[in-house]
Amino acid sequence: MRFFKRIMKTIFMKTIVSAASAQKAKVKPEIPTLTHILSEFNDCVDLVHRYYPEVNVHLVYFDHQVDHDKLYREVMNPLIHVHAEEEVPKLLEQSQFTLVRDSKELVEGILSGRVAIFSNSKTYLVDVFGLQSRSVSQSESETVITGPHDAFTEQAGINLSLIRQRIKSSHLKVIKLSVGEVTKTDVYILYIKDIANMTYVNEAIRRISNIEIDAVFDTNMLLQFIDDAPFSIFPQFLTSERPEAIASKLVAGRIVGIVDGSPSALSAPTSFFEYFSSSDDYNQRWMLGSASRLLRFLALFITLSFTSLYVSVTTFHYEMIPENLLITLTESRSKVPFPPLFEALFMEVTIELLREAGARLPSKIGQTIGIVGGIVIGQAAVQAGLTSNILIIAVASSAIASFVTPAYVMSASIRFLRFGLIILAGVWGNFGLAVGISAIVIHLSGLTSLGSSYLTPIAPFKPRDWKDVFIIAPFKYITERPSQSKSPNTVKNKMRK
Amino acid sequence: MINKGVGLCFLGCLVLLTGCNDQRILEETGFIQSASYDELTNNRIVYGISIPIANPEIKATRAFLMTDAMSSKQARTHLSRQTNLQLVSGQLRVALFGLPLAKKGIWRIMDTLIRDPTISEKIKIIIVNGEAAGLLKKNFKEFPRTGQYIDRLIKKEAIRHSTPLTTLYSFSRDYYDDGIDPVVPIIKDTGKTISLDGIALFQDDTYKGKINPEEAVVFAILRGNFKQGEVSLALPKQSQDTTVMLSSLNSSRKVNVKYEDDGNIRINIQIQATATVSEYIGELKLSNDAERREIERVISDQITEQAERILKTLQRFSTDSLGLGTYVRNSMTFAEWQKLNWHDQYPNVNIECRIKLRIKDYGFRR
Repeated sequence: MRFFKRIMKTIFMKTIVSAASAQKAKVKPEIPTLTHILSEFNDCVDLVHRYYPEVNVHLVYFDHQVDHDKLYREVMNPLIHVHAEEEVPKLLEQSQFTLVRDSKELVEGILSGRVAIFSNSKTYLVDVFGLQSRSVSQSESETVITGPHDAFTEQAGINLSLIRQRIKSSHLKVIKLSVGEVTKTDVYILYIKDIANMTYVNEAIRRISNIEIDAVFDTNMLLQFIDDAPFSIFPQFLTSERPEAIASKLVAGRIVGIVDGSPSALSAPTSFFEYFSSSDDYNQRWMLGSASRLLRFLALFITLSFTSLYVSVTTFHYEMIPENLLITLTESRSKVPFPPLFEALFMEVTIELLREAGARLPSKIGQTIGIVGGIVIGQAAVQAGLTSNILIIAVASSAIASFVTPAYVMSASIRFLRFGLIILAGVWGNFGLAVGISAIVIHLSGLTSLGSSYLTPIAPFKPRDWKDVFIIAPFKYITERPSQSKSPNTVKNKMRK
Repeated sequence: MINKGVGLCFLGCLVLLTGCNDQRILEETGFIQSASYDELTNNRIVYGISIPIANPEIKATRAFLMTDAMSSKQARTHLSRQTNLQLVSGQLRVALFGLPLAKKGIWRIMDTLIRDPTISEKIKIIIVNGEAAGLLKKNFKEFPRTGQYIDRLIKKEAIRHSTPLTTLYSFSRDYYDDGIDPVVPIIKDTGKTISLDGIALFQDDTYKGKINPEEAVVFAILRGNFKQGEVSLALPKQSQDTTVMLSSLNSSRKVNVKYEDDGNIRINIQIQATATVSEYIGELKLSNDAERREIERVISDQITEQAERILKTLQRFSTDSLGLGTYVRNSMTFAEWQKLNWHDQYPNVNIECRIKLRIKDYGFRR
């Protein structure tokens, strides 16, 4: 383990060193000139350079990055109405034009969709950014039945507005950071002042600004750089595509990160149990919400242990089988030529193949996969005597149970752990199962998210939080923000009971 | 982190080093579901086992294997030579003992049942009136596999209190307790069926006698509190053809131990019972309070009479199946109890019994 870490470290160190040396090469602020900019963007065909000889003004911008209407309204139209070169500086005093003195800043500005205006040896930037982006639509990976259906898009600006729409408070603060030596991806840190704990905010800012990598394209990629335990199988930051879920995290005193170009936002600090809650829970009657949440925890145990329990019982613990099941179970096993361990692994791998194929294929072909998988493999494998039909039931129900987890990253982690448990069960029986589950629990209790315990409110033991974690109490009883967010304002509900 | 690494290596080694010799893969295993023990000459026993067969290629639903040996574990090694399956006893449900063996004492054989940790504490101990192996070997066409047939028969009858449910646990508990003796259901082969043949009375581990199935419910009333019993009684004292069927019979027992002036022990059993009349063929009217009292009195007398007969039988066999010894033990110091030889005293103890029955409900018809 340690050796492995050392190797990983040396690999990472190289990238860090090269990135650092690139930073050192920085020069002092350079006065931006038109020739310099044009040589910098040499060979960029999408760069537009316009010249207005009457007023001696140059415009430089990327054609596909700007909103042409806005460009006309804000820049071109006023310039047309200026008749003498002397009037130009007056026009450029308007607030939308910002004076730039550093050529690096100018380059970045042009790259992020602004128009550079060169007039009279002075340089200005004006924001007319207008990227064509996908409109706000339903989330594909996190669906709800009741509740809002809009989801984040790839554009951070739209995502920010979706959140602002929901939290109309001046206390909602946004900090902008930039990640990626080459990509210069914008990362926004959101928090609500006086509700979020500033130690978490500062920690998140520190971690994100310390990332030294050439490119970051997605939130799920970014958060692997800021994980507390990069070698853990469990995700340590919750990601969601749902604005109302993210807004609720903000109000609960957590902090939120938005990465430009990614349709999912991250929330931190996160506890293990947050992955098993869905907005649906809150939109239903509290009893039904509680029931479906408990069902998800039951599904967690089913998906972790059902197949492995089959393996351990059929391999070691025949005593555990009820009398009536014994004969049918033995009968279905009697044609199978493999020991239960290999039988179960074979079936589990088949299911994973089916799932992976279904995820990669367009949905119309995906249906075919369902039929091929369900009927052909399920039915035929039993008839050919490759597996017992009770195993098919076990594997299928644990696969279904794994999809109950609302967060896909978490359900993938759990599915992966299942294989380890199956092997342990095949080698050691129930003892192995106990060893495996204990190892998982021990690992989980050691995990942290932004420095706070991952198993809150079990460890540290906070029974007060349970009414919003394992069940959903009627809202008037949920009076405090979750203890994990260590909010300076814990009371959230002043309703009289 | 280093500890975790070392731990993982250690776990990995254990996984690799663990052999698979402890495996009992389902289809390669023969589950002994019922076992029979019979007496043979000079301390040898005849050991029979019944194994369900789940292989669809084999038509039979079960296999019966039999051998004779000094002990049951020795017998199992003999039987193991005859089968392709690995014999295991973790699914054992029923242990059948032949009556001749029971008369000599069954504790010697029960040792293996108790010592083997894979054998459940809940297996049923049953006495067969006749040869146990013969009964287990026989297939009853219209019923499930013989072992299962017996198991379910006893389980069902025990719910109605027609027989006690004697498990390995309750037998050994009563065996070790010096204030009570175990009772065991006794069954017999009646040709096409198996039927309950009453309750076997044990003194420690030795069969002494039995109680007829007709008296089983009254015996159950005497033995302790119970719920949801059913009993049908003829009341010849009232008139020749009066019968009554009592259901939902609940009873509670109180035992008082007193000492007479000459130091003799006198035991008084008070039983309060309530019941629903589900059938009454007779002249009196149940809806009439006075007449119902009369019926209650007659039924109580009738049951009391039966109970006294049972008590006499128990005293004659010198088996304290009702656990009266525990009450006697509780009424004196431990030193006195040790001095008192309960089994010798028991047949001569004066036992009184009084049952009071109250009719709770007699249906809608007046």
